[in-house]
Amino acid sequence: MNTKLKVSKVSKIYPGCIANDNVSLDFESGKIYALLGENGAGKSTLVKILSGVINPDEGQIFLNNKLLKLTSPKDAKNNNIGMVFQHFNLFETLSVFENLSIDSEKNNDQLRILVNNILKKYNFEIDLDVPILNLSAGQKQKVEIVRCLLRNPKVLIMDEPTSVLTEQETEDLFLSLKKFSNEGILIIYITHKLKEVLSLCDEVAVMRKGKVVSISRTVDEELSSLANKMIGESLNKIKKITSNNLSGEKILTVSRLNFNSEDPYEVNLVDINFTLNKGECLGIAGISGNGQNELFQVLSGETLSNSGSIKFRSKEISKLNPKERREYLMAFSPEDRISQAAVPSLKIYENVALNNFKTSNFFEKGLFNERKIKDHSKKILSNFSVNTDNVNLKSQFLSGGNLQKLILGRELITSPELLICFNPTWGLDVGAINYIHETLVKINEQGKSIILISTDNDELLQLSDRISVINKGKLSKIMSADEVNTEKLGLLMGGGLVD
Amino acid sequence: MIKIERHDETSNLIYFLTPVIAIFLTLVTGAIIFYLLGFHPLQALKFFFITPISDLYGLSELLVKATPLCLIAIGLSFCFKSNNWNIGAEGQLTFGGIVGGGVALLFYNHEGFYVLPLIILAGAIGGMIFAMIPAILKIYFNTNEILVSLMLVYVSKLLLDYLVVGPWSNPEGFNFPETRQFSDSARLPVLFEGLRIHAGIFIALFSVFLAWVVLFKTYLGFQIKVSGLSLKTAKYAGFKGKTMILLVFMVSGACAGLAGVGEITGPIGQLHRMISPEYGFTAIIVAFLGRLNPIGIVFASLIVALTYLGAETAQIFLQVPKYTGQVFQGMILFFLLASDFLLFFRIKFLGFKKYEY
Repeated sequence: MNTKLKVSKVSKIYPGCIANDNVSLDFESGKIYALLGENGAGKSTLVKILSGVINPDEGQIFLNNKLLKLTSPKDAKNNNIGMVFQHFNLFETLSVFENLSIDSEKNNDQLRILVNNILKKYNFEIDLDVPILNLSAGQKQKVEIVRCLLRNPKVLIMDEPTSVLTEQETEDLFLSLKKFSNEGILIIYITHKLKEVLSLCDEVAVMRKGKVVSISRTVDEELSSLANKMIGESLNKIKKITSNNLSGEKILTVSRLNFNSEDPYEVNLVDINFTLNKGECLGIAGISGNGQNELFQVLSGETLSNSGSIKFRSKEISKLNPKERREYLMAFSPEDRISQAAVPSLKIYENVALNNFKTSNFFEKGLFNERKIKDHSKKILSNFSVNTDNVNLKSQFLSGGNLQKLILGRELITSPELLICFNPTWGLDVGAINYIHETLVKINEQGKSIILISTDNDELLQLSDRISVINKGKLSKIMSADEVNTEKLGLLMGGGLVD
Repeated sequence: MIKIERHDETSNLIYFLTPVIAIFLTLVTGAIIFYLLGFHPLQALKFFFITPISDLYGLSELLVKATPLCLIAIGLSFCFKSNNWNIGAEGQLTFGGIVGGGVALLFYNHEGFYVLPLIILAGAIGGMIFAMIPAILKIYFNTNEILVSLMLVYVSKLLLDYLVVGPWSNPEGFNFPETRQFSDSARLPVLFEGLRIHAGIFIALFSVFLAWVVLFKTYLGFQIKVSGLSLKTAKYAGFKGKTMILLVFMVSGACAGLAGVGEITGPIGQLHRMISPEYGFTAIIVAFLGRLNPIGIVFASLIVALTYLGAETAQIFLQVPKYTGQVFQGMILFFLLASDFLLFFRIKFLGFKKYEY
């Protein structure tokens, strides 16, 4: 049976911002629909309305010409609307299976069979009895997808599902989604990634500032036309010129680094060796959950590796904590910008004070030097074009892009010799990504070094001088970026070998 | 239709106003309860809240009760601010009392200027060590500090029971469950002749000042704040998270220990079973009523101390049980939590709206 979903004149107004402005859309099963827009364009709000999480101020939603009253997520479920959110709604301390069984009426044995079938059908590799907190972001997302599939949805809404997936995983997902679509499920795909729209979807609605600005068939569109509709201006793409005149001065030497986690679900790092030259960007690719987290933590000093394994210039640093490593002018930008790199409920200047070392003089004799920190913060806000000049603003009011600019600014304003960043642009909109890529290229040009751990291959190919791939805690041989292409990366990421 | 939404921004004014609203609502509800019990509500409230502090003796008593509450709550604010839920201040107080009292008994027939400082120090260390138990268990075995610290309250209370009945009971005390009277050198000096207010109040005030400086002006305070909000961030910034847990519990335990030793060397002068009318638990209310802010805690401790006094006067004049005081303490906490809800959420009345089909 055909499924028709109609969104009619929906508006949602928040104080100071119109999230959805008179949005009307029609969907029909058999097609995959893209809802395209930058962060803050109102996509997520619309999705939350469709899933009953928030109620619209005005407007109605019809499923098969029947008015839906979606006052809670339960209503959406009862009407067979399935939903995979951008941010995970999982109980971290419960196992995968427990998470799935919470809202299932089936008994455990039945459910396990059902889940296993789904996992097999779509090639998802997830251990059902592992606590969620030990899964990588990519795996968590799969759990969310499985949870939806268990309910045989008529409508499946995916809110930026690939922001944490690798290319290979994304392709798998797309195959699955196309399969669902053929099976008669209406699929609404929310994203700000243009390529995905073109390769996956049949029709695309573009949103900007809460309004639907265009509805078209994807065959009539191309990357540039969609990009222009989405951001309303044309943008230039960055490609780093691989520098040939590297001084050969070694900044970081990692040799025979091993890390055995006490946590059985973390990835052990096995015999990692590399050197990083001054002014170079070393990219580390890989499918999420292959040891990137552990590698970042070992390099930043949040966890410690075997002694003698990390040298900064000629100094042994493998037993130093992050604060002590900062003294050597290392800077760190972790993947999780919302709960690790910054505290949302702290003010901007307080978040700036997190990057503290002796020469910053934020805390003279242990006392909080508020004026100094505030002056410093103002400098960051203006130098890194963060969209506010109020250092007393709580960080939670910054958009993802601005928060990331603040974090990178905090790390970079001290002119560190080495920046280690992990997925610096995930979940950001095109404008912010561009800005951050530009910044990273610029600091390379200034002779600073970068280790870029990322699951975004385009980003890696754009920015790196040399690239290595991490797979199951092991690093592949390091290749010059010129001799690498997406295909080769994909092969290595999947555990294959190249000569 | 009523709708509840999350507030995004809360102003500082409202943040510190809600405790006032909570107190006001407590008074109103209290008046209603008294009315239902057959008393003139205003008269009853007057007995409860005005009469006890209408003379110098009453004011002195107020400060005597507020002193331990304030001290303990100051310590607890370190824990609560950093997301460590130390519920066992009563136990730390008791253990501090035991250790301090033990030292005082050692010197029972001894005079000297050094006796009192030794006792106070011993009490603080006693409370500190007792608070380190839940902290260390939390750090190394990931136990829940709420349960451990709470259970340890009963351990220390039973230990005190055993000591005052058994080995430490007064040999000339006709088997009453109490120790000898401490020597004069072991007592905190009384500030005014005839009143019970003692020098312990200076310890409390000094701790308020110290806490304010540490929490708001130092790197340590900043680390406590960040650790409380996100342990992941604290780790990323390179703070020593485990040390932090131990440290806040030690501060908290030392404060509770000081409160305990202040009681036994101040108004009580010996060890017996009831060295604290649950100050350690009540101080949790004080800490939150004071918004975990040292200055706020000073005011909160005065208000909550008043409920202790009010209960006593009400018992005398209105013949209601003294547990009325706990009813009032409970109501304050209840209304505080309720008005906190309003702080972070807002209720919208949308009226009735019909959708057209």
